[in-house]
Amino acid sequence: MRRPLIGMTAYAQQVQYGSNDLVAGMLPMTYVRAVHAVGGRAVLITPDDPGTDVIDSLDGIVFSGGGDIDPAYWGAERHPATEVDKERDESEIMLMRAALEADLPLLGVCRGLQVMAVVGGGTLHQHLPDIIGHDRHRAASGTDPLAADASAYGRHDVITEPGSIAHRLIGAHSTVNSFHHQAVDDPGSFTATGWCPDDRVIEIIEDPAHAYAVGVQWHPERTADLRFFAALVEAAAKRSGLKPQAFAA
Amino acid sequence: MRRPIIGITTYVDQATWGVWRDLPTTFVPHDYTEAVTQAGGRPVLIPPHEDTDILTVLDGLVLAGGPDVSPELYGADPEPLTVTRPGRDRAEMLLVRRALDLDVPVLGVCRGMQLMVVASGGSLHQHLPDVLGHEKHRPAPAVYGEHDASFVPGSRIAALMGDDLAIRCFHHQGVADAGKLTVTGRAEDGLAEAVEDASRRFALGVQWHPEVIRDERLFGALVAAAR
Repeated sequence: MRRPLIGMTAYAQQVQYGSNDLVAGMLPMTYVRAVHAVGGRAVLITPDDPGTDVIDSLDGIVFSGGGDIDPAYWGAERHPATEVDKERDESEIMLMRAALEADLPLLGVCRGLQVMAVVGGGTLHQHLPDIIGHDRHRAASGTDPLAADASAYGRHDVITEPGSIAHRLIGAHSTVNSFHHQAVDDPGSFTATGWCPDDRVIEIIEDPAHAYAVGVQWHPERTADLRFFAALVEAAAKRSGLKPQAFAA
Repeated sequence: MRRPIIGITTYVDQATWGVWRDLPTTFVPHDYTEAVTQAGGRPVLIPPHEDTDILTVLDGLVLAGGPDVSPELYGADPEPLTVTRPGRDRAEMLLVRRALDLDVPVLGVCRGMQLMVVASGGSLHQHLPDVLGHEKHRPAPAVYGEHDASFVPGSRIAALMGDDLAIRCFHHQGVADAGKLTVTGRAEDGLAEAVEDASRRFALGVQWHPEVIRDERLFGALVAAAR
């Protein structure tokens, strides 16, 4: 029996590798490995395509991390620190609407959670340091804030709402990495079910009316804790009458 | 209406982009996705995985270019200039064999064509300048060698290419023995430039890079076969 097919929104941008420098459709391997590790089969969906018909071929979808969403989508002026990715915005907002409409199981990671909120009619904070007075939600790129010897910068706790999907998956409390300077202000049609206890920044949103529609502000794919990915693949398998198959099998 | 969904194999390498340096990344040149989209297909990128059941969901497959195929796969020892990615080879060999078994339409490009040949029992020259005595198939870094190919009358590739025989190559390995595939196109120097299996719905490999010009003759034929 085939593995659940999990689409992952991807970047299309300039990449250097070896002596090459070219425009490529791409995604960090951490996302791919996370989906494969919990028994799904990852495919990348690049933002250079005009349609949403790919949704019909998928069993689930991950909206990946990336740049900022254009605040015009929720009717705000652009903050100087906001750097938008127009092509991804257009593609992912269209795909998010189609995925919700089809009730395709979906997981939003970082930017992906923010796309959920915006499509749900919500709004974002464009630059967290302006709101909370510190930049501890943004670890330096290339670092692992959860490593044993890391400073507390870019690492914080998350507390969850009892009775939520988030609470069922990770319990009342977890410690997460953090790589963002924007955050959800109003989650729109979604419900906030996880927060950073230090500053009340929203860390998890979900909609229990869907098969699986959960967004997290941090990057679980860069950790060993893949419970949100496993729950996505389980929901994808259930919807399509499949079984997740462990990578090692 | 749903467009045919076309899987494109990907690179996995340390890549530098945005704020990231040397991050393990899976990617494929934008030319491939654009060529599939323009030809009316819906591209998805398929990173290496032992799983081949994805072929039951895909309508067609593009085997993209990339590093050299591991010579062990055709019973040879690696030569000094051969650069391989064994993990990608392992996954893509499983994929191309299963695709041919299931008769999923396949277009192999450059390395992809060479994989089709190796999967069909053939073998490769590991460094063409040693065999041909010239570098016209890879003139310089990031420079395509331009050739006029000749195609076997009555073959699929001859019908697709029509009167415009210009091809753009960038490779240092080439087909020595096409195995069970038929060579249906050659460069001026006799090197195999196109291989096919006429018993399949669509199994075509080309040594050149049709994605660079978004060649709808080839990508359009793949998408049409995938419908």
